[in-house]
Amino acid sequence: MSWQLEAEAPIGRGVTAKRYRLGNGLGLIAAIDKRAPIVALQTWFRVGSRHERPGATGMAHLFEHLMFGQTESLPPGEFDRLVERTGGESNAATWVDWTYYKLSLPARDLALGVRLEAERMQHLVLEPTPVEAERDVVTNERRERVEDDVDGWLDEQLMAHAFTVHPYRWPTIGWMEDIRALALPEIRAFYRTWYAPNNATIVCVGDFDDEHLRELIAQHYGHIPAAQLPAPAELPEPVQSKERVVRAPKPIATDRLLVGYKAPGQDHPDWAALEIVSTLLAGCPSARLYRKLVIDQEAASSVDAQLTPFRDPSLLRLAVTTARGHGADEIVAAIDREIAGLVEQPPAPSEVEKAKALAETDFWSALADVDGKAEALGHYETALGDFRRLSAIAERLTAVTAADVARAVRTYLVPAHRTIVIAEPEHPDGDDADDGEDAGA
Amino acid sequence: MKAIVEPSPDTPLVWFEVAIRGGASADPIGVEGLHRHAGLLARRGAGRRQRAELDDTLDSLGAALDVSLSRDSLALSGLALTRHMDAVIDLAADILAEPRFDDDEHARLLRETPQVLDEIRDDDSALATRWFDWLCSPGHPYGRTSLGTEASLARIGELGRDAARELWRREVVADNLVIGLAGDVDEATAERLVQRLVERLPKGARVADAPEPRPPQPGRRTILVDKPDRTQAQLRIGHLASRYGHPDTAALAIAEAVFGGMFSSRLMQEIRVKRGWSYGAGCALRRSRLPHWFEIWTAAGIDVAGAAVALELELYADYAEHGPTDDEVDFARSYLVGAMPFHVATARQRMQLAVRDSLFDLPVGYTARLPELLGQLAASDVRAACSRHFHPENAVTVAVTTAEHARPALEAANAGPITVVRHDEY
Repeated sequence: MSWQLEAEAPIGRGVTAKRYRLGNGLGLIAAIDKRAPIVALQTWFRVGSRHERPGATGMAHLFEHLMFGQTESLPPGEFDRLVERTGGESNAATWVDWTYYKLSLPARDLALGVRLEAERMQHLVLEPTPVEAERDVVTNERRERVEDDVDGWLDEQLMAHAFTVHPYRWPTIGWMEDIRALALPEIRAFYRTWYAPNNATIVCVGDFDDEHLRELIAQHYGHIPAAQLPAPAELPEPVQSKERVVRAPKPIATDRLLVGYKAPGQDHPDWAALEIVSTLLAGCPSARLYRKLVIDQEAASSVDAQLTPFRDPSLLRLAVTTARGHGADEIVAAIDREIAGLVEQPPAPSEVEKAKALAETDFWSALADVDGKAEALGHYETALGDFRRLSAIAERLTAVTAADVARAVRTYLVPAHRTIVIAEPEHPDGDDADDGEDAGA
Repeated sequence: MKAIVEPSPDTPLVWFEVAIRGGASADPIGVEGLHRHAGLLARRGAGRRQRAELDDTLDSLGAALDVSLSRDSLALSGLALTRHMDAVIDLAADILAEPRFDDDEHARLLRETPQVLDEIRDDDSALATRWFDWLCSPGHPYGRTSLGTEASLARIGELGRDAARELWRREVVADNLVIGLAGDVDEATAERLVQRLVERLPKGARVADAPEPRPPQPGRRTILVDKPDRTQAQLRIGHLASRYGHPDTAALAIAEAVFGGMFSSRLMQEIRVKRGWSYGAGCALRRSRLPHWFEIWTAAGIDVAGAAVALELELYADYAEHGPTDDEVDFARSYLVGAMPFHVATARQRMQLAVRDSLFDLPVGYTARLPELLGQLAASDVRAACSRHFHPENAVTVAVTTAEHARPALEAANAGPITVVRHDEY
C-alpha cells in the first residue's frame, strides 16, 4: 500500500510538516525536529462528544480510558508497562470535536509506539470487567472535576444552557446517569464505528526518518480496512434571542460566574477578530475588564476570557470570581458598560497591535516543543480539516484592524446572545433554593 | 551571582529567570506571606513606571514578567519575542533595582490576598495541600504558608511597605541571585543581558538558610477538614522526608517511582485499576533545598475514603518495611533513565533545571546526570533507602471532605487520632 503526499507547510523555524495519505484513508502528518532524541506520536480521531447521542453521553471520553486496556495481544496493563519501561509517557484527551492518544517516546522506541497504536485501533478487548472498572474511575473523575469543583460545574452548566440543539450542550465527560448506563453493546459499536484508519490522523513530530516512519505505519496499518463512517449529523444551533441566566448555591466564599456569548467556529473569518477582543477584555494584565474590575473597582479577584476553538459556533466566555462584598449582578453590569464603551469608541490601533503582539508570543510558545507542535497540527487537521489552518489563522490575526474589532463586538457581544451561570455562596442556615433559571429562550 | 545560559534558535523567543534565594521559608514567623507580598508589589511598578504603565509597556511588546514564589526562592520570570528582549530585560532590571513599592498598591495587595485564600478554600485539592503543608511537620520552615494567613497579612499591614522594601534591599543583591536565560539568544548577548539585570544592584551577600527543621512529631494523626456537600475526600498522607541532593536521592527516585510515580506504580494499580476508588493515586518526594515532605495523594469517593486511607497506610507500611522487588527496581530505573531526555529536551527546560540545581547548591549538571547514578544502584540500595527515609508510623493524614459522612470510616482507618477543623479556619 503506498502513500500519497497531500500537503506540505512550515511549522516553526526549520521544521516542515508533510501530510501523507495511505490507501485506506489513514492520514499521517510528519514533522522532523531533531533537536532532542525524542518523538511525539499522537493519533487523532475525528470523534468527540458531539458524535454521541443524548442518553449515551460520555461515550467518547470513556474510550479515553478503555483504550489503555487489554487488546488481543496485550494483557491488561501491558500497554502502560511497555511505554513506561522506555521512559515514555502515554496520555489521551477528549473534547467536543476530537479524541487523541498521545505517546511521548525516546526516538529509538518509535516502532514500539506505532505497533501499540495500531494494535489498539483494531484489537481492543471490550469485556464487562474492565469496562465496569473504568466506569468507576470515570465516575470518580467526574466527582473530582465537576461535582466537587465549582469551576467544572459552571463550565458544564454554561454549555448545557447556551446550547439547546447542538451536541455541544452536553459535557465531554458525560452526565453521571449516562456514564452509569452506557451499555456494553453500544460501547462495542462505538469502537467499531469510529476507530478506523479513515477516521484517524497520526501526527509524528521529533527525531525520526521520514521514509522509515511511513514504512512502519504502512506495515502496521496498511491492512486495516476503511470503515463506513456515519454521515456527519448537522444540528445547527438556533439563533439565541434572549439572555439566559442560571443561578445555584455552592459552598464557596463569593459569587463566581461564567458569561458565554455566542461566537463563530474557529474557521470563521470573524474568529480572529474575536480572539483579539478576548485579549483586549481579559487576556493580559492591561486588559480592559481586568483593569476595571480587578484593579480599579476591586470588584473581582480574577477575570479571564476564552474563545473556545471549536469547529462549529461556540462561545466567547468570560469567567469572573467576585471580590468579597461584591456580587455577580454588579459584575454583569460592569461587563455591559465595558462592552458598550468598545462599541461607542473602537480601540485605538495601538491597543489592537498590543493584542496581536501577545498572540504572536502565544503562537510561538505553543510550538516550543515537539508535543506542542504535534498538538497544534493534530487539532487543526482534525477539527478544521487541514493542519495548515494553524498558519492561516495566525495570518488572519495579524491582519485584524480596529474596525474589525469594533464590528465583532457589535455583532457578537450582545446580551440577547449570551448565557450567564452564577454560583452563589450557600446561606449558613442551608435554606438554599435548587438550581434555578431566571429567563430563557 | 550565578548565570546560566542555554542558547537555542528554535523559536524567536527568549525566556529568563531571576531566582532570589530566600523564598517563603525565609518569611519571619508571624509575618508569613511577606516574600510573596514584596515580590508582587515590586512587579506593580518600577523606576518611573507605575503599575499601569509597566503593564501597558510589557503587553505592547507581547511580553510577560511574572513573579512566583517557592519555599526556597522568589523568582522573576520573563518571556519576550527576540526582537524585544532588550526592552523586556530593561523592565526586569527596573523591577530588581528600583521597585516603587507604591502605597496604593501595597494597600490594594493587602486587600486582594485574603481573596486568594478564599479561592483556595473553594478548591478542595489546593485546600488539602495547604492544610497538609501546615500540619505535616509543625514548626518546619516549609510549613509556613507562602500566601499568609489573615493574621500574618494584618501584621504585614502594620509593618507597612517598608518591610517589603527592607526585604528587597537585603535579598535582591547580586550575590544572592541565580539567573538563567534560554532561547533565541547567543552567549555574548546573554552575558550582556545578565549584566544589565544586575548592574544597578549592590554585590551584597547570600541570605542565610532557614534554620534546620526540628525532628517531626512521632505517631500518626489525622486532620479532617470539614467542608459541606462533598462527594469525595481529597486525601494527603505523608511526613517529613529528605532534601533533594541527599546521597540517597537517586535511590529514592526509584522508590518513589515504584510506589507512586508511574501509572504502573503500586498505588495507581491498587487504588484506581483494581478498585476504581479514585481517578488517580500517587506519591511524590517534594524536591527542595531542605528536607521536605514525602506525600501520598488521592481523591477517593466519600463512601470509600476511610477504606482508601487504611489501604494506603497498609501499602505504605509494607513498602517501607520490604521496599521494591528486584524487578520493580529494574523497571523504574529503565523508566527514569529513559525519561531524562524529555526533561532536558528544550533550552528552557535545561535552563530551569540548572537554576534549580544551583539554588540547591548542587554540582553543575546534577539532575541531568542522575541517570548515571541510577545505573550504579543495586536493588538492595533502594530497599535500604526505603527503610531509612519512609516512616509510616509517623504518617499525617489530611482529608478534605464532609465530616458527618466520612468521619466514622476515617476513625477505623488506623490513621491516628482525628482532629476536625472547619475548612475556612486556616
